[in-house]
Amino acid sequence: MEKRIAIIGYAQSRHQYDVQKTREDLVFDVAKEALANAGILREELGTVVTASTDFLDGRTISNVFLSMAVGAFLKDESKVEEDGAAALQYAMMKLMTGTYDVALVEAHTVGWQFNPHQVAAYTLDPLVDRQIGLLNDIAASAIQANMYMNKYGVSVEDLAAVSVKNLGNAANNEFAARRLPDVSVGEVLKSKLYYEPLRELMISQTADGCAVVIIASEDKVRKLGVECPVWIEGVGCCQEAYLRDRDLVSLSGLKSAAQSAYQMAGITNPFTDLDLAEVTERFAHEELLICEALGLAREGRAKELVNNGVTALGGDLPVNASGGALAADPICATGLVRVVECVRQIRGEAGTHQVPGVKRALAHGQFGLCAQKNTVLILGGE
Amino acid sequence: MAYLKDERPETMMVEGDWQVGAYRWKAPRLLEEFSAGLKEKKIIGSMCMGCGKVITQPRHLCGRCHRRMDERCVLSDWGTITCFVISPKVEKGKYKLFGMDPVDTGTLKLGEILIPVFVRFDGADSNINCLLLNAKPEEVSIGMRVKVVWAKEPKGQMADLEGVEPIREK
Amino acid sequence: MFRNCAIIGCGQTKHTSRRRDVSVAELAQQAVQAALDDAGITMKDVGCVVSGNMQGFGGVAQPEQWLGDWIGCPGKPAIRIATGGTTGGSVGQGACYTVASGMYDVSIGVAWEKHSDSKEAGATTGLMHVGMGNLFHALTYGLSLRNLIATSAVGAAAGVAVYQAMFYMHRSGCKQEHLDMVAAKARRNAAKNQYAHLQWPNCRPEDIAKTETIAWPFRYGHVCPASDGASCIVVAEEKTAKRLCKQPAWFLGLASYSDEENQLQSENFGGVGVIDPSEQMGCRVSAKKAYAMAGITDPQKEIDLAEIYQPFPSQELIFSERLGLFDDGTAWRHMEKGETDINGRLPISVSGGVNATNAIGSSALQRILEAALQIQGKAGEHQVPKKVRKAVAHGWGGVTNYITCTVLGDSPR
Repeated sequence: MEKRIAIIGYAQSRHQYDVQKTREDLVFDVAKEALANAGILREELGTVVTASTDFLDGRTISNVFLSMAVGAFLKDESKVEEDGAAALQYAMMKLMTGTYDVALVEAHTVGWQFNPHQVAAYTLDPLVDRQIGLLNDIAASAIQANMYMNKYGVSVEDLAAVSVKNLGNAANNEFAARRLPDVSVGEVLKSKLYYEPLRELMISQTADGCAVVIIASEDKVRKLGVECPVWIEGVGCCQEAYLRDRDLVSLSGLKSAAQSAYQMAGITNPFTDLDLAEVTERFAHEELLICEALGLAREGRAKELVNNGVTALGGDLPVNASGGALAADPICATGLVRVVECVRQIRGEAGTHQVPGVKRALAHGQFGLCAQKNTVLILGGE
Repeated sequence: MAYLKDERPETMMVEGDWQVGAYRWKAPRLLEEFSAGLKEKKIIGSMCMGCGKVITQPRHLCGRCHRRMDERCVLSDWGTITCFVISPKVEKGKYKLFGMDPVDTGTLKLGEILIPVFVRFDGADSNINCLLLNAKPEEVSIGMRVKVVWAKEPKGQMADLEGVEPIREK
Repeated sequence: MFRNCAIIGCGQTKHTSRRRDVSVAELAQQAVQAALDDAGITMKDVGCVVSGNMQGFGGVAQPEQWLGDWIGCPGKPAIRIATGGTTGGSVGQGACYTVASGMYDVSIGVAWEKHSDSKEAGATTGLMHVGMGNLFHALTYGLSLRNLIATSAVGAAAGVAVYQAMFYMHRSGCKQEHLDMVAAKARRNAAKNQYAHLQWPNCRPEDIAKTETIAWPFRYGHVCPASDGASCIVVAEEKTAKRLCKQPAWFLGLASYSDEENQLQSENFGGVGVIDPSEQMGCRVSAKKAYAMAGITDPQKEIDLAEIYQPFPSQELIFSERLGLFDDGTAWRHMEKGETDINGRLPISVSGGVNATNAIGSSALQRILEAALQIQGKAGEHQVPKKVRKAVAHGWGGVTNYITCTVLGDSPR
C-alpha cells in the first residue's frame, strides 16, 4: 500500500435490547462522540460510509433519514449494506484513491424493531427454501454445527465452553448487552433449546447498537498530530456460494479473506504475529470454525484453543476479550464493534478487559447465513 | 398509444411477502408537543441555536450544525404559499390507500378538486404540506398570503390544522 | 493515489414492464454475461463484484447472497451497495473505487430491479416503505386521512417531483409544453435504443399532451415506467484497459454529496429546512467536486454529452442546470432550440433516459453505462454523431437528497 490509512477516532453505544432512543438519536450520539474522540470537526470530514439494511430497519433506503444525524450533510456519502467492517473497507478504498483524506464509517441496527431471525429467513432463496419454510439462520447454523461436530468429534460441551469464555469476558465490558461472569457449561447446556445443539446461550444476543470509526490517510494523520493512530495494515473480504451450494463445515470464504489480509499485512504466522483477535461469532461453534479458517488452529482442533485457555482473556492469543457477538450483536454494527474493540486494545483504552501489550490485532465481521460473507482487518499500532 | 410492445412467455409464479406492518419503531415525543400546540391553536417549531433555522414540524437534529435543536418557538399562523399543485377532479378508484377507496368512505367527494400546497409560515425555514381551502384553483399563486384554518374544536391532533385559506382584504 | 481506471465492457438486458421469462437471478446474470462478453473477459479475470438493488421492491433481503452464484460472487470479494434511487450510480462508483484504490485490477458493477416481482403496479409497497414508519407515527397523532390522501394523491416519487417542477417553472418561465417536449424526446430516443422500455418512434409533444393529467403540470405521458431490467459495467485498471479495449471510457471524476432531506418530512415526521426542492445543493456540490477531479473548469463548453436521471421530464431541465451545463433558468430554452437532441450541441439522455426506462436499482448505473457507450462509439442506433470526449452521468435518489455525479472521458486522467 502506498499511503497508509489509520483509525483516528471511534465510539460505540452501550448495546442493549430495546434502547430508549430513536434511531436518529442513537446514530447522532455515537457519531458526535467519535468526532470528539478523533478531535476533528464535522466540517473536516470528506466522505461518509454507513452500513445498515432496509429489512432490519423496516425502511426502504435505510440511511435516507439518517444522513443528517450521522454528519453527512453536504458530504460525499454512500451506504454499504450489511456489515460495518465491509463499510470500513469501502471507506478505506476511497481514501486510498486520495479523493478524500478523512472518512467517517458508521454501522447500526436496532434489533428490537423486528425479529432479525425473521429477516434472515427473508434472505433465503425465494424460489425454493423460502417456500418450503423450514430454514432460518439458527436452523441452518445448527445443521452446520452438527456437521462439524460429527466430522471432528467435537462435543456440545466444547461449544458451551466458547459461550462460557465469551459471556464471562463480557462481564468486564461495560458496552456489552449480555454479561454472565460465572455462567457454567452446565447452565449453557440447560438454556432454552432452539435447534439441536444450539441453545439460547450459544446464540448471539440481538441488541440495538451503533458504532462509528473515523479514518484518515497518512498525511492527514501527521498533520492532525494524532497521538495513537491505529493503522489498517491489511484487509480482505470474500463471499461464498449460497447456503445449499457450499461446504458448510469449513469457512473457505473466510480463509480466502484472511489470506488476502495477511498477505497485505505481511503476516506469515497468524498465531504468533497477532496479539489478539475480535471475531463475529453469531453462534458458539462459529468461533471454532472461524479460528480454524483464520489459521489459528488446524481443522477440527479449535476446541483445544478454548479448552486449554489459549484464547481466554489471559491466554496466548485472546479471542473476543470483549465478549464478541454472543455478548452483544447489533447485527450490522457487530463487525465494526469488533474493530472498535481492537482499537481500544491497541490504544490501551479497553478498561477492565484490557489485554496487556497488544500491538497487532485482527478484527472480523460477517454477514449472511452460516457466515457466507466475511471481512477481515489487521490493525496495528505505531 | 403507439408504444412498441414485446410479448414474453410466462414463467412459474411463487409467492412471498415482507410484513412491514409487523415492525415497531421508536419515535420521539415531538409530534405530541406539536399536537398539543395545535390544540392551543399554536404552531410549534424547533430552533437551532447554531444556525438559527426554525423547523416545523419540530425535529431533534440540525444536520447543518450537527447539533440538537432543543429550543422551541411559536410560529405565526400566517404564511406564504411557496408551491402548489392542482389535482384533477376526484374519481373513484384513483386514490386507494390501505385497500380502501376514499370516495367510498366519504373522505373525498366525487368531483372535487384538491389543492395541496406548501406553506411557509412566517418565521419558519421549512414548509408545511396541507390543503388550500375556500379558494378556487384559478386564484392560487406562488407567493399568495394565507392563514390557518383551525378545526372548530381542536382536540390536540394533527387534523386540528385543517388547512390554510387565502387572506382576503375586507 | 487515484489509479486510472476505465469501463471496458457494458451489458444490459432488455427492459420491459414484465420480464416473466427469467427469474431475477437470471435477469442480473444476463447483464453480467453481456458485460463480460463485451469486455472480452471471463469471470475468472474479475477481482471484485459490486452489486446492488432496492431490496424493498423485490421482497428478498440481501438478494446478492442468494443470487450471488449467478453473478459470479462465490469465492470473490463482493460488496453490496444500496442507496435508494442512486443505487446504480453508487454501484458504478463503487466499482471504480475498488479498482482506483489499487486493491483490485478488474471489478464488475451490477445493478438490477424486477418491479414485476411485486404485486402492486409500480411496486408502490417498496416505495412506501421509505416513509412507512413516519406514516404510522403521524397517523397515531390524528393525521387527517383526507389531508394525507390529498397531499400524496400524486403518488410517492411523483409527489415530490411535482412540487419540484412547480418551483422550477415558476422561477424560470418553463411551461407545461416544455415538459411535453422532453418526454417526447425521451420516447423518440428510446425507440433507437434496443434495450429501452417505452419506445415510441416519432413521438411528438402533441401526443404526450393528449394523455390524462395526474396533477398539473404532470401528465401520464410524462411519467417514467416501472421496468424489469439489469445493467453491468466492467471496470479495469489502466494497463488491462488499454490492452483489452480500443476505446475505454475513463473515470475522470466522481462525487456523491448528500443534502438535507428534500421531502417534506424527516424521520418521525419532522420538517426539513429545504424550501425549494429544485435547489438541489447536493447536485451543485457533487458536480463541482467531480469536475474539479476531472480538471474541467467550464462544463458548458467541455462536456459533450450528459446522461441525466430524469424519471420526470422537469428533472432533465433542473439537473442540467445544477450540473452546470446551462445557466440557471435557461435549460428549457436550450432544449426548445434542439440543443439537447441526438444531433444537438449538447445531447442529453439520448438513450431515452430514466423517463423511458426505469428499473430503479439499475437506472443510475445505466446512466454511467450509456455515457460510456457514447464515448466508446458503441451506442448503435442512438450513437450521437459528434465525437464524445467528456460526458457526465448523473443520478438522484433518496428523498431527493442523494446525488451521484460521474464524469467519464475518452482519455485517462
